[in-house]
Amino acid sequence: MIYLDYSATTPVSYEVLDTISKVTKEFIGNANSLHALGLKSANLLESATKQIADIYGISPNEIIYTSGATEANNMALIGVAMANHKKGKHIIVSKLEHPSIYAICNYLKSIGFEISYVNNDKEGLIDFDDLKNKIREDTILVSICAVNSETGVRQPLKMIRQIIKKENLATIFHSDITQAVGKVSINFHDIDLASMSAHKIFGPKGIGFLYKSNMIKISPLIYGSGKFNELKPGTPPLPLIAALSKAIRLANNDLEKRERFVNLLNMKIVNFLEKYPEIKINKTKYSIPQILNISIMNIMPETFLHMLDKHEVYVSTNTACSSGEISNSIMAIYDDSKRAKHTLRISLSYVTTTDEINKFLEIFKEEYEKAITVK
Amino acid sequence: MKKIIIIKYGELSTKKDNINFFISKLKNNISIILKNIDNEIKYDFGRMFIKVNEKDIDSVVNKLKKVFGILEIIIGYIGNELEIEKIKNNTLSLINDKKFNTFKVITKRSDKNYPINSMEINNVIGGFLLKNISNIKVDVHNPELSINIEIRKNEVLYYFNGIKGLGGYPVGTLGKGLLMLSGGIDSPVSGYMAIKRGVKIEAIYFESPPHTSEMAKEKVIKLARVLSSYNAEIKLHIINFTEIQETILKNIPHDYLITIMRRMMYRISAIIAHNNKCNILINGESIGQVASQTLTSMRAINEVIKMPVIRPLACFDKLEIINKAKEINTYDISTLPYEDCCTIFVPTHPVINPSVSKCEEYEKLIPYKDLIHTAIKNHEVLIIKEEIENKYQDLL
Repeated sequence: MIYLDYSATTPVSYEVLDTISKVTKEFIGNANSLHALGLKSANLLESATKQIADIYGISPNEIIYTSGATEANNMALIGVAMANHKKGKHIIVSKLEHPSIYAICNYLKSIGFEISYVNNDKEGLIDFDDLKNKIREDTILVSICAVNSETGVRQPLKMIRQIIKKENLATIFHSDITQAVGKVSINFHDIDLASMSAHKIFGPKGIGFLYKSNMIKISPLIYGSGKFNELKPGTPPLPLIAALSKAIRLANNDLEKRERFVNLLNMKIVNFLEKYPEIKINKTKYSIPQILNISIMNIMPETFLHMLDKHEVYVSTNTACSSGEISNSIMAIYDDSKRAKHTLRISLSYVTTTDEINKFLEIFKEEYEKAITVK
Repeated sequence: MKKIIIIKYGELSTKKDNINFFISKLKNNISIILKNIDNEIKYDFGRMFIKVNEKDIDSVVNKLKKVFGILEIIIGYIGNELEIEKIKNNTLSLINDKKFNTFKVITKRSDKNYPINSMEINNVIGGFLLKNISNIKVDVHNPELSINIEIRKNEVLYYFNGIKGLGGYPVGTLGKGLLMLSGGIDSPVSGYMAIKRGVKIEAIYFESPPHTSEMAKEKVIKLARVLSSYNAEIKLHIINFTEIQETILKNIPHDYLITIMRRMMYRISAIIAHNNKCNILINGESIGQVASQTLTSMRAINEVIKMPVIRPLACFDKLEIINKAKEINTYDISTLPYEDCCTIFVPTHPVINPSVSKCEEYEKLIPYKDLIHTAIKNHEVLIIKEEIENKYQDLL
């Protein structure tokens, strides 16, 4: 098998699996309980949270566990909207967001919020002037992802924050950092709210967190009891939380070294594919190497995905969360609907090997050339 | 340009003769919190300069926000281009992301050989900015943005408005006190306020197992941990109070339960304080809040010891205390729902105006000196640091 869909999800690493199994077996108490078993669970919960907080230089009570990034995005956007609707009903998002952000925006629009979409330039970078012009007195939130899931374009969060705060100090800045975590370094002081998910960094599915700076307030989406966080009541899923904490620690080892290695693999694929005139490389100077998007203009991407499937080679069309539709991100960057309909995403990880890439390129060549001859 | 952190001192500047002691204490306190970060600290009587790697700046500033004795934390920029044209452009690019309507340029020239004097530089830079940024004005009295330019031998230092620090005195400059720490909202806030005035604190906690749970103790440890982030570390004395409390309950009229109990706590605290070189007791009492905090109660209780008792919250309203607790992140811990030894066995009608002679009379009914002696002999000591020792390293 050659797995090249790490940006959709990753397998759970052996070390993380070990934590899930041990914690499930050994920490049976509810962290909310008063007895010694409850206390033991509460202590592990505290250590796990402290570890994440230390890695990111934030405070433990700024971490709210969620089922993943989609829930965190909901909590952030709807939470800000509900807490601030009296101050304003204007929200700005980019054209490069994960589909969940647009789904939430559609909901907010249906209940009376106004959504503006900020433009980007040909390199995928947010148009700073456009952002500046769109921020108004009643703008309560700007949401811009750190790394686009389809093209890997990385946004300069610090600069975006400066622009937002200069125009309107009260505007809250949220960033979906799911595709950035474990790939590039993130400074949490650049953002007020951030969403992430464990399953993109060799952690389990079903856990992630929302970072919420203590400087801002949001309204809860769900109500219940429990002492750990009023925004996420209920019994904390301790095995998943411990696993998340471990996955984050492991993901932050040698970030730069890993990025350099993946960049070599990325270059190798690009060099190879550039030979085919009908294959467009959707890569800008701001794309991170872990995500490589291409458009195969003369074959439907789904057909080609299934051809690779037969060889146990796994890549994706668009993102796993929006398959079948035209790619919004490619459209936003290249303004070319054919190119946006024909995209294929190859996503790499530091665990990908050079052998795998060689084999992948061999299979790619064989199937691609077969496909165009048949045509 | 390289970033540098500049610190302005708080009230220290009023301490004429021993200012050096205060500043070097502040430097030590800062070195302790930055022990895991590469840093270089230099200081004079006016301010302190901290050099760290660019990537650590934000986290260092956050840490400095929790250090007492700092009036202002400022990010400065050091450039090595001394030509006036370069200084103009550098100033403009540094203030590019700032929003302001009025400004003032303040130049200092420690290198007196520099060809232009400070006033002229103010004029040149001010004029340049007025020409290049629209809708701004000079306001020398109350500017929104102060632009500071210091020309030194081989470099130019630029800095602007800073972030407010906590103020107060460097911790430890005024000796040690013992904080009576319950699990409630008030006592951690009082501890914080004492630390703010430079008092290094230790803490004492009374537990009554099995009437109070392990969770209640854990909660106090957490509160101590929050305070330790301002105090480097906290020595926490834990007194097993069960036997004393049960003896009081069995032998003393119930309306005097709390008064006698508090008198016992004061006696124990004063001895622990004395043994640990603490000069004062600190607690969270606030006038009139509960029966044991009426003026007559305070007098009847305080009467058993000679050591001064500082009550930073004596004249605060509850709401003011709650706001402060939220600000210092102790409120959420304090409101966790566990019994502590002041909330168990509360009589329905505690005496509001206890008399000293009655207290003395009742205390003759119990062998309190022996009980206190045993409680002190068996007391537990924990050193609480901000960093929790990770017991679960293998799992995480």
